[in-house]
Amino acid sequence: MNIRATLGMAVAATCVAGAAIADSFPERPINMIAPFNAGGGTDLLLRGLAPHFEEAIGGDVFVSNMAGGSGTVAASALQGQRPDGYQLGYFSITVSTIQPQIKNVPYGVDSWTPICSVAASPTMLIVPNDSPFQTMEEAVAAIEGAPGEYVFGSSGPGAMTHLTTVAAFAGMGVLDKIRHLPFQGSGPAVKELTAGTIQFFGDTEILLSRGDFRPLMVFNDERLEGYPDTPTASEVGIEPPLNELYLWGGLFAPAGVPEETVAALAEACETAVGSDGFKEFAANSGTVINHRGPEEFDAFFRAQYEANGALIEAAGL
Amino acid sequence: MGAFTREPVLVQLGVLAIGCALYLSTLGQTFSDVGSAHSPMFFPRIVLSLWIGLAGLALVQSLRTTDGQSRPHSLLRLAILVLAVVIYSNLITTYGFFLCSVGLALVVLPIFGIRHPAIVGVYALAVPGSLVALFNHGLGMPLPTSPFTYLF
Amino acid sequence: MLSHLPDALALLFSLEGILVLIFGTILGIVLGAMPGIGSTVAVAIVLPFTLTMGQSSAILLLLAVYAGSVYGGSISAILINTPGTPQSAATCLDGYPMAQRGDAGLALGWATVASVIGGLVSAVVLVFAAPYLAAFALNFGPIETFALILLGMTCIVSVSTGSVIKGLLAGMIGIFLSTVGGDPIIGEFRFTYDIWQLYSGFNLLAVVIGVFALSEVFVRASAKPTGVSELVDFRGVILPKLSAWRGRLRNLGKSVVIGNVIGVLPGTGAATAAFISYAEGRRSSPNKEAFGTGEPDGIVSSEAANNAVTGGALVPTMALGIPGDAITAVMLATLTLHGITPGPRLVEENPTLIAAIFAGFFLINLLLLPLGLLLSRVAAPILRMREGFMMTAIVILCALGIYFVRGNPFDLIVMGVAGVVGFLLRRQGIPMAPLVIGMVLGPTLELTLRQGLILKDGNFFAFFESPIALVLAIVSLVALALPLVRAVLASRAAQ
Repeated sequence: MNIRATLGMAVAATCVAGAAIADSFPERPINMIAPFNAGGGTDLLLRGLAPHFEEAIGGDVFVSNMAGGSGTVAASALQGQRPDGYQLGYFSITVSTIQPQIKNVPYGVDSWTPICSVAASPTMLIVPNDSPFQTMEEAVAAIEGAPGEYVFGSSGPGAMTHLTTVAAFAGMGVLDKIRHLPFQGSGPAVKELTAGTIQFFGDTEILLSRGDFRPLMVFNDERLEGYPDTPTASEVGIEPPLNELYLWGGLFAPAGVPEETVAALAEACETAVGSDGFKEFAANSGTVINHRGPEEFDAFFRAQYEANGALIEAAGL
Repeated sequence: MGAFTREPVLVQLGVLAIGCALYLSTLGQTFSDVGSAHSPMFFPRIVLSLWIGLAGLALVQSLRTTDGQSRPHSLLRLAILVLAVVIYSNLITTYGFFLCSVGLALVVLPIFGIRHPAIVGVYALAVPGSLVALFNHGLGMPLPTSPFTYLF
Repeated sequence: MLSHLPDALALLFSLEGILVLIFGTILGIVLGAMPGIGSTVAVAIVLPFTLTMGQSSAILLLLAVYAGSVYGGSISAILINTPGTPQSAATCLDGYPMAQRGDAGLALGWATVASVIGGLVSAVVLVFAAPYLAAFALNFGPIETFALILLGMTCIVSVSTGSVIKGLLAGMIGIFLSTVGGDPIIGEFRFTYDIWQLYSGFNLLAVVIGVFALSEVFVRASAKPTGVSELVDFRGVILPKLSAWRGRLRNLGKSVVIGNVIGVLPGTGAATAAFISYAEGRRSSPNKEAFGTGEPDGIVSSEAANNAVTGGALVPTMALGIPGDAITAVMLATLTLHGITPGPRLVEENPTLIAAIFAGFFLINLLLLPLGLLLSRVAAPILRMREGFMMTAIVILCALGIYFVRGNPFDLIVMGVAGVVGFLLRRQGIPMAPLVIGMVLGPTLELTLRQGLILKDGNFFAFFESPIALVLAIVSLVALALPLVRAVLASRAAQ
């Protein structure tokens, strides 16, 4: 049998049943790239997901790390790979929608085939427990009363922790009256929040369980179950698009992956994210599962890309 | 003029020139205004100024001293080795860890005086081979593979 | 916490606990001793396995591999001048000359004993003083950290063998290299010239491996080939005699204290501690003239301090839930996966687990001595193989190690270029240790300087309103000025 005949049969088989190619899809190991160092939050999430993904897709899956440039190095490298579905990256809101709009990276909104979203948590504006501010109004009044006196921290310029506080103070119209002090990573920033060098910080719910902190508001469409007394950003008076902010992440492949392969990957992702094993992992690690299929995730991703433009403008990045 | 062809002087001149070039490249750039924070070039300019100053001093020192330096035993051998290592570090991601390492070993072993074909061959295959077997297939931490097969 | 010690010990002395400790320590030493492979890679290798283990085993395995690899790193640093981690770079300064002199076994003996004592003392400090030390760490804001890093920078003068000008120049090159990539305050890229591969900057390990290990290969290739020569004359670790410790105990004690204190401060790290301790040893040791030529005090200063950091770094991790360095960050993340929340209440909520970690850390340091002696006997024949085999393996292992540090292909190119440049600079007598100090301390120096300027409205002199910063600045000035004053006095006296 010559090659052409084989190809012809393969095409015919694809037309008859899309499932046939899905069965044969992972012919070799699939590589999931974490754009940060081994042992970090993103890396561990991916390592938690990989075994369930492996089981669902019926082939080998391995996690590799490519760190640097706030995640842009991995995304830049992946963008140039063959779109065969064997190379996937787990990118967060910042890597996929913020960094390409503030930095000159070789990828943009059209460089990807979104496969599925995995997790999303609303962010919060956080103060230490012994902070004098009980409400957003008190904080804003104090900042207006003493321009340049108060300081908010972040884990780095352009990071989610930075954008959250920017959304809060730009939304309240006091961003020019408060100083920004970036740190290298969350650890040192949280230490200074405890020590009192910075008065405000923005992060997800997980941080609250890790120290003596409390939230002033949450960037969600409704109040959180665990914090019924904490108002949403809209309630405090922040206008869209700055009123909702989620730290989300999902699997991306380079643009142009064949539909059948996307379908196979997406199905595996849905099964893996919905598996009991991953749910238990998520509960342990404080991950809020938020699954979206390829079409839905694509639309969400593009809408986020647009909306975050406004945020970037406000942050002056 | 003979002093300027000596290796220490050439290298020191190179270090000085690189420092100056880097400093010049900081001048034309513009960055967004960020209020109380300093320009991204604030700190590098301090460092580069010190670099240029110290490189100048070191250059003067080398011009004054004329004591000879040990020359490499064989410049050719050294040049081949340096070239091999630089090419190796550039090609690993394109042609895979295994193929590149085999090639490197075939060059480096003879340079260090190991020339027996059988020994060179076995060593060049065995060391990279066992590493690839261990990492790619044992631990699931793959090293870069070649464009020909995902196995190595 | 002490009341939970019996339960903790029961946890440790189970079959699984003991196996994890011994296996982890051995694996760590072996990986760390391989040129080019350091703690980062060693931890990355075991990380996937820890995900399926119980909580205490997972953390103990990470700790054992980490402590083992730090110790193992000193083996390759001393025997072949190739530190696997930046924190062993200070050990090369005296360890390698001593090995070249033919005392490789003894040099490793000093390193072993100093490492073990540094680790054990820090484990004890950890148990009794963690809460107080954590409170001390909270007093160290950006401005105080800036002053401490400034003090660290003065070490460049003490580790500059030969010309101080060349040492300072190497230091500046190192600091500059660390500024390439994203700006820490506003995030814009510097010196990247629109090449995205440069966005992540120059990786510290890639440069360290290049300028030490690869350039060493080039140095050896420029000598007359012997073909049959052994790399080093090494037949296993020889412990120094008790009498040889006379006059060195003060240095040992001081190094342990320096390591502990610096380890407690988040964002400084083992390399900083090793260099500061080395510089202090050189300033105060009765044998200071011999530093850099194979002086045991130099090895002791560096090794005792960098191992004491391991315990120190656990203090903010356990007491505040804030990682002290990259490895404690991995440990915290692993704890989270097992449903344990790091934070100020970590010890209260998991007393048995934390006691087991502390006790395990103590045991790991005890294990380093016998396992180090045993492994060095086993490994000695490998190290005596012909130079060519060793050099080939070094290049290949360095590439492997650097690839796994962060999976970035560009780092491999950086390593290759750093090797060539390092070789050229070394030939001109430009020392490489200051370059490493510059690269290690550069990012923190810039970040804290600019953070301080933001906090103090751009007034640099307002930094010294902080008493800690003032004291540290004065100490740095004295450290810089004293050698100069001495030199001037000496030349006057000579006239």
